[in-house]
Amino acid sequence: MSAVATSPVRICDVTGRRIHRSAEQLVKANAVVAVVALLVGIIAALLLVLTRWQAVHLLPPTWYYRLLGVHGMNMLIFFIIFFEMAVLWFAATVLLNARPAAPRLGWVNFGVMLLGSLMVEWAQWSGRADVLYTSYPPLKAHPVFYLGVILFAVGALLVTCQFFATLVIARRERTYEGSLPLVVYGAMTAAIIAVITLVHGAMTYIPTFLWSIGLIAMPDPQVYRMLWWALGHSAQQINVAAMVAIWYMLGALTVGAVVLNEKVSRSAFVLYILFISMASAHHLLVDPGFGPAWKIVNTSYFMYMAVLASMVHGFTVPAGMELGMRLRGYTDGLFGWLRRAPWGDPGFSSLVLSVVVFGFVGGITGVTLGTEQINIIAHNTMRIPGHFHSTVVSGTALAFMGATYYLLPLVFRRRVAFWKLARIQPYLFSGGMLLLVLGMTFAGSFGVPRRHWDISFSQAPFDVPFNPAVDIFLAVMGIGGIIAFLGGLSFILIAVKSVFFGEPLPEITRGVEMHGVPRGLTHPPVHAPDADERNAALHDPARGIAGATPGTLVLVAVFLLAFVVYYFANWKLLSFLWKIG
Amino acid sequence: MPTPDPVDPDAEPVPLGQRLFDNVFLLLALGMGVMLVVFTGWGLWEILTLPQGTLP
Repeated sequence: MSAVATSPVRICDVTGRRIHRSAEQLVKANAVVAVVALLVGIIAALLLVLTRWQAVHLLPPTWYYRLLGVHGMNMLIFFIIFFEMAVLWFAATVLLNARPAAPRLGWVNFGVMLLGSLMVEWAQWSGRADVLYTSYPPLKAHPVFYLGVILFAVGALLVTCQFFATLVIARRERTYEGSLPLVVYGAMTAAIIAVITLVHGAMTYIPTFLWSIGLIAMPDPQVYRMLWWALGHSAQQINVAAMVAIWYMLGALTVGAVVLNEKVSRSAFVLYILFISMASAHHLLVDPGFGPAWKIVNTSYFMYMAVLASMVHGFTVPAGMELGMRLRGYTDGLFGWLRRAPWGDPGFSSLVLSVVVFGFVGGITGVTLGTEQINIIAHNTMRIPGHFHSTVVSGTALAFMGATYYLLPLVFRRRVAFWKLARIQPYLFSGGMLLLVLGMTFAGSFGVPRRHWDISFSQAPFDVPFNPAVDIFLAVMGIGGIIAFLGGLSFILIAVKSVFFGEPLPEITRGVEMHGVPRGLTHPPVHAPDADERNAALHDPARGIAGATPGTLVLVAVFLLAFVVYYFANWKLLSFLWKIG
Repeated sequence: MPTPDPVDPDAEPVPLGQRLFDNVFLLLALGMGVMLVVFTGWGLWEILTLPQGTLP
C-alpha cells in the first residue's frame, strides 16, 4: 500500500483507486455485522430444517416458531441489509473515487442499526416476540421488538440518504465522467428501492409499536398485511438490484466481462425502480380484501415489467461474460469460453451458480407462483419458501459471498483464509441449497404447508394424509439443508478467520499466483491486443442470428424451454381442480 | 478536494433519455410515486370501500 497509514486516503495498488479510510472502515463494520447475523440465521436454519424434516422433527413447537422468526429477521433483514449498506458505501466511495458524505453520521447510523437489531434479537430469543417474521396482528410482540425494527429501519434509511449525498458530492467534484458506472447504477437502484421499502416499513411498524404500548387500537389486519408486504417483499427486491450490480462487478473482475449495451442494462434497472416493488402483491393473492383488478395489475401487468428486467440482466450478464472471454481469445465452439473459465476462483463460481439458480429456479418458480390463477394451488405451501430460498439465498447470498472473496484482499487487505475450502465453498453451498429448494418445492407441490410445525397433525381430531412421496422430498430438503449449512458455516469460518486472524496482504503482485488471492486480482482479465478487430468480427452480420454470443443464446433457449414446461405443467395441475369424470 | 474541470463548450449535448436516466432524484420520485399510487393507494382504497359483511 503506497499511502501513509495516517492519511485519510490510500491508493489501492490493484485498482489504482483512491480509497477513503473512513468509508473503508464503514464497509468493514457493516460487512462484519452482516456475517454475524448470517451465523445466527444459519444456526436457526439448521434447527428449523431438522424440525421440518418430519422423520427428525427436532424442536418443540414453541422453539420452532420462535426460531422461524429469528431466522427470518437475521437472514432477510439483518444479514442482507447490513451487507447492502457495505455495498452502498463501497459503490459510492470506492467505485466513484468520491469522499463519503458525513462519515461520522455514518457511524451513528451504523450504531442505531446495530442497537435496533440487538433489541430485536433480545425480544425474539427471550420469547417476547413469538410473532414470526411477519408479526401479523392480532399477534402482539413486546414494544422493544417494534422499536428495534424502527430504529434499524431509520438507521438504514439515513445511510441510504448518505449514499445519495455521496453521489451528489461525486458529481459536483467530478470524480467520474459521464453517467454513473453501471455497478454504481445498480447500487443506486437498490438504494431507491430501499427508500420505498423503508417508508412502507415506517407505515407498518410505527402503528404496531403504538398499539403495543397501548396508545392506539389494533391496526386493521388487512391494511397491515398490505403495508407489511410492501416492506417484506420489497426488502428482497433491494437484494435483487444489489445482487445484479454485484453480478456485473464480478463478471468484470473475474473474466473481463463487458457490458453489451449500457442503454439496455440501465433500462432494465429503471424497470426495477418503477415496477419491482409491486411484486409484494403476490403475498395477497388469496386475501379477500382486494379485487382481481388490483391483484392482476400489480402481480401481472406491472410486475412483468420487472420480470422483463430480470430476463434482460439474465441475458446480458452471461452474454457479457461470453463476449469478454471471446475478446480474450477463448473462441472455441459454443462453450469454449465457459470451459476455459476460472472455475476455481470462488468469485467466478459464486457468480455463475448465483445466476443459474436464481434464474432457472427462482425466476421460473417466482413468475409461476405470481400468476393469480396458479397461486391458488401453491399459496402458503412449501413451494413459497422453495422459491425464495432460491432467490434470496442461492442468488443474493451467494453473490454476496462471491463479492466477499474479492473484498477480503481489496478492502480488508487480508489473504482469504482456508483457501482450498474457499474454492469449493460456493459449490457446497449452492449444491445444498439446490437440494433444499427442490425438496421444498416438490413437497409443496404435494400440498405440504409452509410455517407448520407438524404436518402429521398427530393430535388432531381428523386425518390429513399426504402422499408418501412427501417423506422423500422432506428428506431431500433436510439433507440439502445440512449441506447448505456446512457451506454457509465454511463461508463464515473463512470470513472470520481472514478478517480477524488472517495473514495481512501487503501487496498484490500481478502475474504471480498468490495463495489466498482470487485469480481475478493476480491475473486481471485483459482483452487481447486486437480486441477491436475481434469485436468487429464477432458482430459481423454474416454470423446471423447467433451473433457475438452464440453460447449464451443456447443457454437462454434452454431457460425459456424450462420456463414453458414448468408454466404449462402448473396450468395442467390447476386444470385438475375442475376435472370432471 | 479535487478541483472541478472546466466544462467543455464543444462537448456534444447529452441525450434526453440519458439525462432522465441519470437523474437519481427523479427516478426516486417516480419509483416512490408509482408504488404509492398503484399498490398502496389503490390497495387502501380497495380495503376502505369494502362493503360491510353481514352476519348469517
